Amino acid sequence: MEPLKVVVAGPVGAGKSTLIRTLSETAVVDTDALASEDIGKPTTTVAMDYGTIHLGDQLLYLFGTPGQDRFDFMWDVLSEGALGLLLLIRGDKPEDFVPARRLLDYLTSRQPVPYVLGVTRQDQPPVWGPEEVAPFFGVPLERVVGINAKNPQSAAKPLIRLVELIAAEEAAS
Amino acid sequence: MSLDDLLPFLSSRDGALEIFNLKRLPRVTLYFRAGRLHCIYLGNKPVDSLQARSVIGELIEARKGSFEFIPGARPAACSRPLGWPVDRMLISVTTTYDEYAQVADQLPHPETVFTLTHIAVPDDTRISDFWKRSYIYLQEGASAQKLSQKLGMPLDHCRFYLHKLRQLGAVAPARATAQQKKKPQRAGVAARLLSSLKKRFFGEENAWSR
Repeated sequence: MEPLKVVVAGPVGAGKSTLIRTLSETAVVDTDALASEDIGKPTTTVAMDYGTIHLGDQLLYLFGTPGQDRFDFMWDVLSEGALGLLLLIRGDKPEDFVPARRLLDYLTSRQPVPYVLGVTRQDQPPVWGPEEVAPFFGVPLERVVGINAKNPQSAAKPLIRLVELIAAEEAAS
Repeated sequence: MSLDDLLPFLSSRDGALEIFNLKRLPRVTLYFRAGRLHCIYLGNKPVDSLQARSVIGELIEARKGSFEFIPGARPAACSRPLGWPVDRMLISVTTTYDEYAQVADQLPHPETVFTLTHIAVPDDTRISDFWKRSYIYLQEGASAQKLSQKLGMPLDHCRFYLHKLRQLGAVAPARATAQQKKKPQRAGVAARLLSSLKKRFFGEENAWSR
């Protein structure tokens, strides 16, 4: 059966690497390097993160894209043919919403890729919740999920929502 | 001498200000009549009001160039005279550039496709000029890059105007999900995945909703 891929995107520090490590059943291949500028954490992803989930005979790849704008050429490459896109945003860092929206708008207007937004750090209030984030991004509330990327069940929620939405579209068409 | 110093000084005279040796533009000719900016030529062609704003903005930004004033010179043709009072035009363009500087890091990606959300001409003349020229393309969906080519405007100006139109609710990014092509080989995959994912992370399918 053809493996499927899900792209995990978002600004630097949104929790992409954390979510993939939490969900992947195999050791995550990450490409973190020491940050050359102050981005609020010591390391950042410079190529991509890669994890896998086996669901019966279906293999699911998780690809995490680097958050910096200079890697935007990779967003297209990774998103092409993807099952869906998970866009992560730090709920306690609204200044990142603008670059995140820019990324979402760019990808979803060019690639026919279903998407869900994951608002991270819901376990560390005060944070923006899905109800507040959805209008800013101009997306339906059903496409926004609040999560804690370190908790497996919570981290799985945006992925499950994504697949639910795809299944609903399939059923409707 | 900067352009915004030069223009008020010359605009009280009828004639043409030729500006050349510009880095990003061919020769620009500004024609003045009765204290107003009558017409702008870019190379040998007159420009419309939308392009005229962009040209003035580019000239203000240019910093370097040569100029010559030709008293009494008139354009060969100018089917749609601008008739802009020079002082107000400068304030308008400078305001636009100040606004642009403030939102530069919020502007959409050049290739993000936007579509119209409703057809209503915005009140602001700076925005409405752009809207009138671009709405044909925006009806089908267009990016700043495409509009830049179609309208003959700098890419960043198109990004700025799209940003403003979005703030006004006149355009929104096109979501490709709305026109998603169904992949036959994946039919039914999502339903199977859904069940497996819920079992994997929640133990049993119904636990997901608790």
